[in-house]
Amino acid sequence: MAFNVLIVDDSSSMRSVIKKIIRVSGFDVGEYWEAADGKEALKVLMNDWVDIVLSDINMPNMNGLELIAEMKRDELLKSIPVVVVSTEGSEKIVQESMKMGARGYVKKPFQPEDIKRILSNIMGEVEDEKRDHDEDLEGGDF
Amino acid sequence: MKKETMMKTLKEAISNVLDTMFFQPVQLDESNSNFQEWFSIGQSLCGATVSFNGPLAGSLYLIVPLDLLSEITANFLGLKEEEIHEDQRRDTVREALNMIGGRMLSLADKAGAFKLGIPELMDENDLSDEKLAALRGDMVFIGTENNHLAAGIMIETGNLKLET
Repeated sequence: MAFNVLIVDDSSSMRSVIKKIIRVSGFDVGEYWEAADGKEALKVLMNDWVDIVLSDINMPNMNGLELIAEMKRDELLKSIPVVVVSTEGSEKIVQESMKMGARGYVKKPFQPEDIKRILSNIMGEVEDEKRDHDEDLEGGDF
Repeated sequence: MKKETMMKTLKEAISNVLDTMFFQPVQLDESNSNFQEWFSIGQSLCGATVSFNGPLAGSLYLIVPLDLLSEITANFLGLKEEEIHEDQRRDTVREALNMIGGRMLSLADKAGAFKLGIPELMDENDLSDEKLAALRGDMVFIGTENNHLAAGIMIETGNLKLET
């Protein structure tokens, strides 16, 4: 099953690095989308099917925590898993992000394995959720 | 919080970020250098600065010679140096400082009381010999295998007493 990935970071270099890590890690990725801040990310999310979001926190216009909050308010977007990839490394921010609904947190600077490990876990969970959802639909009375 | 603590965490953050993300092992120069002695005469430089707020407020800066910046940008992006564009170099110096600042503040304060701003490029005029000589704050001079860079911290206000 191919996943569509949205990478949100105001650094185009960082977006390229994360994209490269995902590509060489062997994940089955359909489309890569990129956004430079939360506002751009929401536009992508409203127009295209995205399975997983990797987002920085410290960005202009709309930061990563505001993006998560907006997504959680939207019925269609609230179930899309978000992994925070940020320099904001204090335990308070990590806890706040997870409390808001982030599914994972990678602190910059990171090793490629950090991204690979967390994506592997989340993609596995998403596949399980989709499988359960499909089975529920097949088993239902119509 | 002591001033030495901030400097210690800045040094730790520089080593960690440059080694992990840019594959650039560094040696920190503890001698009393200044910019004129540290950089070669006429060497083209690029710099970035970022503000921070919290128990202490101020700014950080990072100054990198263009040839070294091309090298670390190439390392970061996994490209050859001749493939690197100016935009990528500028973005990399900002992102390097962003990571150094974030790492430094999270090491200095586990409670997350600090807030880092958005890194900006330093104006070319701010990198002239005269301007660099007049730059306030505490500096960290960093050596790589073949080159030099520098970073610094300027603390402007703070609620915590700085013990020097």
